[in-house]
Amino acid sequence: MESGSLDWNSEERAGATVLAPTGRVDETTADAFKDHLLDAMGKGPAIAVIDLGGVEYMSSRGLRALTLAQRAGQGSDTTIVLARPNETMREILAISRYDMVFRVADTIEDAIGH
Amino acid sequence: MQIRFWGTRGSLPVAPHASTITDKIADALVHANGKSFTDKEAAAAYARDELSFAVGQGYGGATSCVEVDAGKGAFVVCDMGSGLREFGLDTLRRLSDGHRPKEWHFFLSHLHWDHIMGFPFFVPAFVEGAKVIIHAGHADAEEALRRQQEEISFPVPFHWLKADIEFRTLETGQDYKIGELTVSLIQQEHSHASYGYRFCDADGKVAIYSTDAEYKIENMDTESAMVDFIAEADLVIADTMYSLADSVSMKEDWGHSSNIVAVDLCHQAGAKRLALFHHEPTYSDADIERMHGETIRYEELTRNGAELKVLCSYDGLCVEI
Repeated sequence: MESGSLDWNSEERAGATVLAPTGRVDETTADAFKDHLLDAMGKGPAIAVIDLGGVEYMSSRGLRALTLAQRAGQGSDTTIVLARPNETMREILAISRYDMVFRVADTIEDAIGH
Repeated sequence: MQIRFWGTRGSLPVAPHASTITDKIADALVHANGKSFTDKEAAAAYARDELSFAVGQGYGGATSCVEVDAGKGAFVVCDMGSGLREFGLDTLRRLSDGHRPKEWHFFLSHLHWDHIMGFPFFVPAFVEGAKVIIHAGHADAEEALRRQQEEISFPVPFHWLKADIEFRTLETGQDYKIGELTVSLIQQEHSHASYGYRFCDADGKVAIYSTDAEYKIENMDTESAMVDFIAEADLVIADTMYSLADSVSMKEDWGHSSNIVAVDLCHQAGAKRLALFHHEPTYSDADIERMHGETIRYEELTRNGAELKVLCSYDGLCVEI
């Protein structure tokens, strides 16, 4: 399947890298999502907040990209925190049990720890 | 075509403890709240239709064994888990009408214990004049079956079996004709490899049997091969043993998949129905029922086209395609 595009924003906030994808993370965009994540992990941030506020939904390909990012960040001790999931994403994180392997915060501030 | 599930549990047969039955009866009595029934049939209808499946019924505990019945000709069955004993006896009963040959075709996903342990208890193999043909992607299927009946493991050696038993090694990329059915296979990720099967009947109806298949996180791009294999299937029986999180963490490399990945693959393939299969042996009936409900919900949340109907297989389920 062809890789689709995904809107992506990245900014530094209070010592953390905040990554903000926008749209659906499905089979057409999962590769782009994974590439963005791995690129960000390569810079070795102490905390990477993935702002899910703009993510409509995520399929298993996107969820597994989160796991790849988690592994990529282990060398630099990067902690990944998921923030601001909508109701659909909250359900998906619960059904997949990803809410048991990633911390899920209600706000970016909570995610950063301020 | 009918698909009959004789064994749906993964890895190890399970049976309810006495307390499990007590719990079900207690839950049913509380739910009934003093309701009375005119006879046993009325009580059974209540248990079946008004109680949750996990209370009024149950998913069973026999390991993998699924019949693909084209309605005539030889019997066709996938895997030889502990559900095979009951399948064998049932087919002997069905033979009594004289309309079917004394012939059984097996299609083996792989040779691990839980998928072959039923064969020593497969009564037709003891019957003179019976023909048993064992199809597998593995060339060492015969070795595996003979080995489990060596004296150290079982009292009746394989060579005592009176049926005419033949082994056929299949190759991917080929179509095989078995009576009314056209069969093909695909290799899957599992220890010592496993194979998924695609059965197509004379009317073009398609059933997929894909168990003990892991989708490696570092090879997600290769999943398109499975999507092509299950394309437009009427029923996909899929390994949904673990949660996605478990399948990529502590249970990675254990050779199994998740309900989430199964839904995604079926959505991409345009499949019509998914049957959750190879249930985790530590799961109670309530756990499996919860997983079924969650899978239905995930399908709703991620649907981007026609509905994928999500069934949860149980020992005794028959699906008409």
